Amino acid sequence: MSQLLPYLVLGLLLLAVLAWWVWGAITHRGAAEVLSPRQHRSSVRSIGLQRDLGERIFGPQDWDFVSRETPSEIQRMFQRERTVLALTWLRRTRLQVSQVMRAHVAVVHQSDDLQIATEIRIALSYFLFLFLCNSLIGWVWLHGPVRTRKIVRQTFQWAAQLRGVFEQLMARVDPASCRVAGTNFNQGTVRN
Amino acid sequence: MSLERRNIDIEPAVTDLRSRTLSRLPGDFSRLVYLASSRDCNTGKYYHDGLAFHFSEMVVSRAFAECHREVFGRLVYASLEELIEELRNYISSTDERPEDFLKSWKHLGSYRVTIPSECDELEAEVFLSNVKIALAMLETRHEGSGRTFRNRD
Repeated sequence: MSQLLPYLVLGLLLLAVLAWWVWGAITHRGAAEVLSPRQHRSSVRSIGLQRDLGERIFGPQDWDFVSRETPSEIQRMFQRERTVLALTWLRRTRLQVSQVMRAHVAVVHQSDDLQIATEIRIALSYFLFLFLCNSLIGWVWLHGPVRTRKIVRQTFQWAAQLRGVFEQLMARVDPASCRVAGTNFNQGTVRN
Repeated sequence: MSLERRNIDIEPAVTDLRSRTLSRLPGDFSRLVYLASSRDCNTGKYYHDGLAFHFSEMVVSRAFAECHREVFGRLVYASLEELIEELRNYISSTDERPEDFLKSWKHLGSYRVTIPSECDELEAEVFLSNVKIALAMLETRHEGSGRTFRNRD
């Protein structure tokens, strides 16, 4: 199993690079200019809240403290606790992105202004995200969040940007639906 | 959020609560326990006779809820090291022996009732997990040093 790990890491990195490229392609064709500053700030804020909790869970500060100050028994306890939290956070983030994607698909079905190339890129990004997220869940489950935090952080920086792009695209296709989806998304963040 | 809820100004009550009561408590963990203990577990509403003299019961309850969420948020995002210090300060402020306190909190899970009613479920999980680890660390330190918490101050 351990012999396969470097290949898995390499594969994940390649996927992250590919995902980064896809995201870049989407944003260059995105519709940031049609969003009002208020809408944009709102999207960024909802993503910011979500990222803070992820950073709280995956951040190095607590582990540095625990590994420096406590016996191995407490260190194992910390790893167990953080693994549970990390898995919960990953599953919730996956669910939220899926909800945004479903809302986007529902809006696109009713839209006359369908851009096939953009939709393919979005679908590709979404499936890449799901693949990465599921890989990370398996990785964290096997090795804990401490050893995976850099990959997780990088992936979810991308995921946060992806969610922002979804919201921007929905704002372009149908601003009213975007407001509804945005509200649902925020409720999911706060009360889920 | 209902229209009625948006139109009520709770800021004066929040300011009063912060400046007259919460600022006098030694640390955020003490504040959290105080705010949670002002809540009726059956209804989820907060009661405070002194504040109710100046404001309506509804405003008092919402001001308490606001402060409760605020203090809880600070503790959720505090580092484990800071949380341990907060917890240690709180234990020092009570008249209980630290070993009794730690044993009771660990076995009864008393800290579970300190979570605000309206909060993110995952934030609550992060808080409970961190307090659990903090209690275990304090217990280990206490057993190891054989000192009371007051001696460290």
